[in-house]
Amino acid sequence: MKIRGAYIAAAVAAAIMIAFPAFLGAYPLNVARSVMTYMALAVSWDMLLRSGQISFGIAGLFGLGSYASILAVLRGGMDPLLSIAFAALVAGLVAFALGFAILRLRAMYFSITTLALMEIFRIIMHNLHDFSGGPEGVVLPEVIFGGDASALYWLCLGGLAVTIGASWYFERSKLRLALTAIRNDETSARSNGIDIFKYLLVAFVVTSTLQGMMGAIQVQSYGFTTPDTAFDANFTLLPLAMALLGGIHSTIGPMAGAVLLGIASEWLKLKIPYGHLVVYGVIIIIVILFMPNGLFGLARKAIRKAGGAGSPGSASNGSDAEEGAR
Amino acid sequence: MILDIKKLETGYGKLRVLRGVDLSVGRESVGLFGPNGAGKTTLINAIMGMVRPWAGSIEFEGAPIGGRPTHLVARAGIALVPQERELFPGMSVADNLELGAAYVPRGRDIIEKQLDTVLSLFPILKERYRQLVGTMSGGQQRMVAIGRALMANPILLILDEPSLGLQPSIVAEVFDRLSVLKKDVAILVTEQNVRESLRAIDRGYVIENGRVLLEDTAEGLAKNPHVVSAYLGL
Repeated sequence: MKIRGAYIAAAVAAAIMIAFPAFLGAYPLNVARSVMTYMALAVSWDMLLRSGQISFGIAGLFGLGSYASILAVLRGGMDPLLSIAFAALVAGLVAFALGFAILRLRAMYFSITTLALMEIFRIIMHNLHDFSGGPEGVVLPEVIFGGDASALYWLCLGGLAVTIGASWYFERSKLRLALTAIRNDETSARSNGIDIFKYLLVAFVVTSTLQGMMGAIQVQSYGFTTPDTAFDANFTLLPLAMALLGGIHSTIGPMAGAVLLGIASEWLKLKIPYGHLVVYGVIIIIVILFMPNGLFGLARKAIRKAGGAGSPGSASNGSDAEEGAR
Repeated sequence: MILDIKKLETGYGKLRVLRGVDLSVGRESVGLFGPNGAGKTTLINAIMGMVRPWAGSIEFEGAPIGGRPTHLVARAGIALVPQERELFPGMSVADNLELGAAYVPRGRDIIEKQLDTVLSLFPILKERYRQLVGTMSGGQQRMVAIGRALMANPILLILDEPSLGLQPSIVAEVFDRLSVLKKDVAILVTEQNVRESLRAIDRGYVIENGRVLLEDTAEGLAKNPHVVSAYLGL
């Protein structure tokens, strides 16, 4: 019954989101696109985090997707919609190749290397003047769907739906146990027959593909990009803050964090331009110190307390209890 | 023989730990005894592919497994209950048991049969099925660890010091269960608690300074003067 209720709630939420353009103007739709983009990035970041690997390479793969898409249209004459799939494929293939090297690394070594990827991709695009337009970037002759706000919104919603679908699959397939086991203890995971490298590679390639896809959707929606906008560190920091705020190791947590922080950031940008970055930093610090399982973790704990029934660990995959259980 | 180790040498860096170990396990329960630092855990690590053999051979069901990746050794049919339980504390008993079977190629019917076996062997796990493992006692966690290993329907079950950190009554319970288990699965168990483990094994080895010092039946070991003075404290 509980699962059925969740499906009904998800279907209602999806129907409302699909219908948004019927009663929202261009500006709110633009804000919604921004929130959805960050939401997809936050969810995809969390998908890899479930294996214990902390990636700071979101902006790198997002930017790579942006450039792959815009250059495929400009230099290759590709259909804009097809270029989004192409960009996702490019990001996935690059991640596949890089994965053989960087997925041997763990903890901060992996994180720092993924951070470096962003800078490497940015410098490459910065310096390939004839191909990528150099620091001035590149401009499309026309925005996808002629810039129609509703169509752009639905395109972004489609990208988000693909990401949530992938995350949902991660949560409900054998991947969940494998990634959780790897996060908890690699030696034990191996001795249970888990091919650690294979599962890490799958997670890294899938999440990179999703990030590249969202980059492509973004660039096709705005019609231009530069190295500084495509590889903007915000595309790494904001999704991270959103996932931490909402609650990690789940699909719903990063989504909730993205809605809250995404809408708050729009308001903060108007009130304190550039100061909103300070607010993000403060949020990350507060969350890490006082609620490591995020708002969703707090909510689950509250529900469990209110219910008052059962053992302390009645949730079968309750990652919120993980820290306490250690 | 299910497991056949010949003249195995290995170690860490420049430190040689095993110096030509010969050991075999058939359809029986075998004990591996010795003091701290004798090489018991290193031998298990070598079998599980966590340490590469420097010399000698390790064969499982007639096929060489020395140096094979750990996950392939596990899939071949060797399940390990590590010394430090190494459970997944944030996961429930159900998830830990499911994980034991999820990545080894076994049929659904075998998995269900194994789950029945585990839950009848350790009824407490049935009661605590949805409880997070990190919230359970040390003895219960040990049962989850053994249960998880059994879920893979292994041919050989290896237990590395299963009594470590457990109170005596729980130790006796664990070895009682091993006595039941040995009818269905080959067992290799390392222990410092020789007295309890002699009840559960058919044969045993004493390993000291990386070499096999003694090999005998459980009865033979119980009467051996070296075992009596060094391990039984008589």
